[in-house]
Formats: sequence, C-alpha cells, structure tokens
Amino acid sequence: MLFNPRNLIAWLALLALAGATVWAISFSPDPPADFTFANEAEVKSLDPAIITGQLEGRIVDCIFEGLTRWDPQSLEPRPGVAESWEISPDKRTYTFHVRHNAKWSDGTPFTAADFLFSHRRALDPQTGCDYSYIYWTIKNARKYNTLRVAAGDPVEIELNKPADATSFARGEVLRGKLVSVEPPFPKDVATEEEDPPKRTYVVEIAGKKRTFQPGDGENGCQFVLLDFSEVGLKAIDDYTYQITLENPTAYFLQVTGMFPLYPVQKKCVETFGYPGWVSAENLVSNGPFRIGSRKIRERMRLVKSDTYWGRNEVRLNSIDALVIESRTTALNLYLTGKVDWIPAPPPAIAQQLLAEKRDDFHPMPEFTIFFYRLNVKKKPLDNKLVRQALGLAMNKQAIVEGVTRAGEVAARSFVPLVIRKYAKYANYEPGQCGTYNPKEAARLLAEAGYPGGAGIDTIPLLANSDDTRQMVGELIQRQWKESLGINARLVNQEWHAYLDTMNKKDYSIGAGAWIGDYIDPNTFLGMFVSGGTDNQTNWSNKDYDRLIADAAKEQDDQKRLQDFHDAEQILMDEMPVIPVYVLVTRNMVRPYVHGFFENALDTHPLGRIWVDAEARNRLLHTEGLR
Amino acid sequence: MIWFIAKRLLWMVITIWVVFTVSFLLMHAAPGGPFDRERKLTPEVKANIERRYDLDKPLPVQYFHEMFRDLHGDFGYSYNLGDFSVNQIIAAGLPRSATLGILALVFAVTLGFCAGVVSAVRRGGLLDFTLMSLATIGIALPSFVIAGMAIIAFVFVWPIFPAAGFGSLRQAILPSLCLGAPFAAEIARLVRTGMLDVLGQDYIRTAYAKGLPTRTVILRHAMKGAVLPLVSYLGPTIVDILTGSTIIEQIFAIPGLGYHFVQSALNRDYTLAMGVVLFYTVLLCSINVVVDIVYTVLDPRVKVE
Repeated sequence: MLFNPRNLIAWLALLALAGATVWAISFSPDPPADFTFANEAEVKSLDPAIITGQLEGRIVDCIFEGLTRWDPQSLEPRPGVAESWEISPDKRTYTFHVRHNAKWSDGTPFTAADFLFSHRRALDPQTGCDYSYIYWTIKNARKYNTLRVAAGDPVEIELNKPADATSFARGEVLRGKLVSVEPPFPKDVATEEEDPPKRTYVVEIAGKKRTFQPGDGENGCQFVLLDFSEVGLKAIDDYTYQITLENPTAYFLQVTGMFPLYPVQKKCVETFGYPGWVSAENLVSNGPFRIGSRKIRERMRLVKSDTYWGRNEVRLNSIDALVIESRTTALNLYLTGKVDWIPAPPPAIAQQLLAEKRDDFHPMPEFTIFFYRLNVKKKPLDNKLVRQALGLAMNKQAIVEGVTRAGEVAARSFVPLVIRKYAKYANYEPGQCGTYNPKEAARLLAEAGYPGGAGIDTIPLLANSDDTRQMVGELIQRQWKESLGINARLVNQEWHAYLDTMNKKDYSIGAGAWIGDYIDPNTFLGMFVSGGTDNQTNWSNKDYDRLIADAAKEQDDQKRLQDFHDAEQILMDEMPVIPVYVLVTRNMVRPYVHGFFENALDTHPLGRIWVDAEARNRLLHTEGLR
Repeated sequence: MIWFIAKRLLWMVITIWVVFTVSFLLMHAAPGGPFDRERKLTPEVKANIERRYDLDKPLPVQYFHEMFRDLHGDFGYSYNLGDFSVNQIIAAGLPRSATLGILALVFAVTLGFCAGVVSAVRRGGLLDFTLMSLATIGIALPSFVIAGMAIIAFVFVWPIFPAAGFGSLRQAILPSLCLGAPFAAEIARLVRTGMLDVLGQDYIRTAYAKGLPTRTVILRHAMKGAVLPLVSYLGPTIVDILTGSTIIEQIFAIPGLGYHFVQSALNRDYTLAMGVVLFYTVLLCSINVVVDIVYTVLDPRVKVE
C-alpha cells in the first residue's frame, strides 16, 4: 500500500488540528495598567462630535479637554484649555483665554483657531452631530446647523467635493448674499420640518446672481448655509476665543466642559477623514491621556500624555478600559480584583450589596428620572382629570421599595430634587404633583366621567424589554386595577422598535428615562415646549412655552428659577408626564482609588484620580486575590 | 468529480444570494432604524447622517449598491461601531472566536470520542449508563447554566481560573470547556451509535473469529467505521464553534464574533448584521462542500453523483 488517500486525509486533519492548537494557545498577554475599569460596551466612536453616550464619554473625557472641565465633586466649571474667562455684563459674551502651554499630543501648539475649527465642524450639517443642539444657545448656531436661511442673509455655499475627498474636508466655499430661497423655511427656527423639501437658492456673489440646488445636478452644491461669520464664535487671536450667546445662559460654563464642544485637530481630521482620524495610530488629542492601543471589544489602553499642560497633576501612567457587556461578568471581575471600578453591578444584586454595608458602594440620586409619557391625543388621556387620576393612583414608594431597591427616590417633580445639592440651585422649588392618594384618584376619575373605570378600554402600557421596566409596569398595572378599575396591558418592545413607536407617537402610555445633560432645570423642562422634538406627548401649553422662553432670556438667577418653578407646576398639574422615581448611581470603586467622587451626573473624569498601590496590594492580599 | 464540485458551487451561490436577499428584506422591514435615539435627532441632522450611509436612497437602489459592494468583499462601515469597517470587526473577532473554538473542539472531540467508544464497548454496563447520562445532561443544559456553575466552582470556590477576559491561556480554558461541553456530549452519543452499528457487522465477527484480541479489533477495525458519522457532524459544527457563541462570549467577556450575530440585528446595524450573516453562510457552504468531498474519499461506498 504505497498511497492511500484515506490515510492522507487522516494525517492532514491531525496536522491541521495540531497546528491550530499551537496557534490557539500562543498568547501575548498585555501587562496590567495602573487603573482598570469595566466599560459596558465598545465605544461607538472616539469622535467627540459624533458620540452621545456615557460610556463613550468615559474614554473621550480622558483623551480630550474642552475650554473648561467639570469638577468631579461640585460639578463647578474648572479651567481646562482656557486658563481664565470673562463674562460680559449682559451675560451674553464669554471671552476665554487659552493657555499658552496647551499642546496637542503630536507636540504642535494649541490655539483658539482649533476651537473655531472644531465647533464649526460640529455644527456643519454634514458631520451629523447628534448633540449639536447643545450648541444652539450660541448666537445663530441653530440656524447654521439646521440650514436655515432667509432672503437677505449673508450665506456660504459649499460646492460639491471631488469624489476622492476625505469626509469632513470641506468642498470649495463661496460667499454671497441670499436673494431668495424656494420654498422658504418656516419663520421660527424652532419649527422643525419633518420632511424637508428640495430647495432652490438664488445667491448674489460679487454682483452676479447664481442659482444653487443641493445635490449632484448642474447647479449642484453640498449646502447653502448662513455665513459662519454670523455665528457667535470668534478666534480673536491665537489665545483668545470668544463665544456670543443668543440668551444669557446660566449653565453655559457647564456646556463648555461637555464633550460635543471638545476640540479636534484640523490637520488630523482633514488628512485622514472619518474614521481614519480616530484610529489608535492617527488620533491626535489634547487631554491628559492619549490612545495607546485599541482592540475591538476587548480593551482600550490609555497612556499618559507627555504634552498635556497639566501633566504634573496626572498621576496614572496608564488606564485600561475593558469592554465587558455583561454586568454580572463585570461584577465577577471586580470581586476577583481584576478591575478597580465598575459603573453598575446587576440591578438584581444592588439591594444585597447595600445590605452588606460595603465601603465601596455608595449609590447617590442621579440627575435622571424614570417617567411615563401620556399621549394626550389618545382617549381617555385627553382628559386632564384622567391623567391626574393615573398619577395619584400610582404608589411610587411601593415601586422603589419593592422593585428597584437600590435607594431610588419616589418622585413628585420632573426635575430630580438632587439639583438642590448644587450651590446655585440650593433653593430651587420644584413644581410638584400630589402624593399617592387612591381615593382622590378614584374621585377624579369619576368626575371625568369614568366612575370605577367604566367606559375605559384597556390601555396599552409601552416599555422597552428591560427587566426592571417590566416589573415596574406590572406593579403599576395592579395599582391602577385596584384603585381605578382601569385595565392596562403591558407592551414590551425591543429597543429600536420601542423608539420607533414612541417617535411615531403611536402609543398611549410609554415608559422613558431622561438623563440631564447639565445641572439646570432647563435640561428637563426644555423638552416639553410645544412641538419640541422630545416632547412626544402631543401636549402643548402656551403659558408653559412662555415661561420656558422667559427663563432663557432672564438674567436674574432667582427670577429664572421662579420661571422654571412655575413652568414645572403647570407640567405637574396638566400631567402629560408622570414622574416615577429618580435613579441612583451604582458605581463600585475600590477604596484604594482616590479622587473618585459620586455626583448627580455620574460623570467621572479620570485625569486626576490616583491609585494607592500599597493599599491595593494589602487589600487584595487580605481578600486572598494576590 | 469536477461536475459535482461545479454543481455544488452553483448551489452555494444561489444559497448565498437567497440568504442575502432574505436578510436584507427582514432587516429593513424591522421597525426603527440604526439612527433612532431616545433623544430624537433633528430631521436635518438625521437626513444628513442617512445621506452619508446611502439610507436616503430607495430600497432597491440600496439593495443593489449593497450587493455590488459585498461582491467585492467589502462589507462597508458598521453603523453602530462607526470607527471600524465590518471587515475590520470580523477580522478582529474571528481569531478570538476561533482560538476558543479550536480549544473547545480539541476538548470535545477527545472527550466525546473516548466516551463514545468506551460506552459502545461496555454497552449496557454501569460505565455506559453513567457516560450517556452525563452526555444527555450536557446536551440538555443550556450553556449559561454550565458556565455559571463552572464560574462558581473554578473562579470563586476553588479559584484556579480568572473570571473573564481574553489574552492568556488561563483565561481561555474555562470558556472553551464550557463551549465544548455540549459538543463533547453530542459527539459521545454519535460515536457510540456509530460504534454499535459497526460492532454488529460481519467483518468484526470475522476479526474476532480470526482470534484477534479485543483491543486490536476495536482500535484497528471498528473505530474507522465509527468515524464516519462524526465527519458529517463535524463539518457544520466546526463552522458553528469557530464563529463563536453569543452566550459563552458574553459571560466570559470574549471579544469574538458571536456577540455580533444577535447584537448587530438588535442595533439595526445593517452592514454589520449583513456582513456576519454572509460571512457565516459562505463559511458554512464551503465547509459542507469540503465535507462531501472528504466523505467520498473516506467511505468507498459513497459515490459522487
């Protein structure tokens, strides 16, 4: 038997298996970092203009720095790239002085022009910045961002780019005066067009009239935008940056510390385009850390930057952000000493952790509310009395004690009360709704013409598929049945389906959570103005709209808070939303980590934290982990 | 033979096209889109993002665009993990899943094969009963239960393995054992059946009649026959095990490919979902062709038609 294909196949298979096994068991493990934490998923992007989420923020806050940064404890603005600033008497103009020693991670000096470039890029409709609305307090920023122009406006026309241009590099820009736009835009910049039509622009450029139509045609162009010089952003010189606002915006210095306003380097962005510029090899940043390496869904290694102006205050040399999607897994890693911080253990175990009275778990109320939206166009929710009855028949205390159980606070207002922890808002009086009162609820329902729930069909109660939301829904279902005789049917939809239903306003009652962007009532109350994008309840109230608009213009802090109080009182009386409870932070942080603070926005800049290595060794040793 | 391969390849192309079309339609029929947020996007911003991803075009145009691009082996950029192309994501995930899969496979085949042979030889005995009961449990228990028990036992009670993560052999052992366990059980049952089948054959009786010792009969003559059902089982199993398990990868935080099969659809990440589905289909179809060819070589009774 010289050659037998059967034997050959057997040998080949064995050889392949042996080779594969050798390959499979050869690893080159990374040495551990100074500080390791579990991030909950792979970040969607490292581009500060594109991201929206908290887990992206954790990384981006390490590698970039804005004009100001947030104090992790008091949430007060602290000097960032800007070492100081002045505010004009009318509170509309902010002049920032950029540090002379600020540098990019490639060593090039940092100038005010970098902010101008970055902020224009975030407002450029082409960028698709989710968070661009945070810029809209800046003069004309909303117009520029949403392509609003009217006859007579100075405009800039971005011509189509050559096919090989990188994303974010702009096409040739022409400037002129808009003669006409057909069809015209709605007068009020706040009125949104669900389905923007195709438009034709006639622009006078150097005395000649030219026609433009966004698109690929003969008169094609990318965009016709308001001339950027009309927007309240100016680089006065290399180290002076000036921002002019539409209205005095009391919380603006918080906004300048948010990641949508972080600077990005023009050279890097325009050379590599998106997503090339955010790759570990190409990314140039200006924060306390830079990206060392990035392995998809495995880990991100951040390395201390040696060009950061405040590098002497940065005590960690490296940080590992592990991608751990399962909260149980994250907890296991934490308990076995492999990570130093997990943002949230599984909800089911929070109560047990609290009962253990651990020194590394201190939940604190967050600036986040769990609430129900009531679609006021659906019967019987069009009746204010029914909405109030539903609110009063909800035993919120039973929900936080029976379901969530991690220290959540039953809510009577839409703005979480934790706002009062912060100096400027210590005496904010929230507008409140009534406490649990099933008798009064039944009376209101009868007054509305539905005694004992008679005449009310089963109401669908929409939530996304989430264990906690489902359990809360079940409890409310029972409470409404018992006190009001109203039948609710739980509808659970998977996340994107749920968002779709809510956006189409195809629901009656829908669960939702809202996370404040900054500490100010505006981040919660601004959403319910008539026609607001996130209102979604079809509710509209002229007095409410006026109060929110007044608050925006008001220079006096006390009067401003009074406006918000009055507005919130209307919201709580009219009850297009029922606030249920205020969420809590759930960080678990090893006690040898210093400089880590709980705060209402659950934001934890890692630039100034440090690890007591000796205490760590001692602790892990006592727990038998080393 | 060439005709056979050509025919199989043709079927493969048709299968892949059907999978592509069905996935495309299902995905676009699902409510919501990749850019829905709890905080709704302004229409202008949304329109521009959609323009960037071609989502403003009519569905048939998108269909052919996507097909054309995929045919060039370029699956485009992920919507949800926008910093990476789908090709990059697959290229990063596959080796990790494969590492785990290979270790699981070695474990499953070794253990399953031995258990199957022993059970068949000791048919009806206590050993057979024990092994087959274990195998039944192994098949019946969902992998998250096995993984949960393994973590309690080997991470907390007797801490010899790390809880999760990827990067060292120690981290890989526990997940590969958990991943391989149900396969080992299934292989054991298959091999046992195959063995029993062979042991009843005339040529085995002949071997015994010639006076060969039991060991030789089993190892030299019977085992070869018992391998056959294993080969047809291993084809698709290899694809399955190498492309990763959603559950095991999540429990042990393995940055493999398995996660994307479910998560990309939930995220409405059209490109990534399409990419992993097509990748899996091509791999599965190719392996099946290979298995068919190998089979004809291994078993002279099977003829190529």
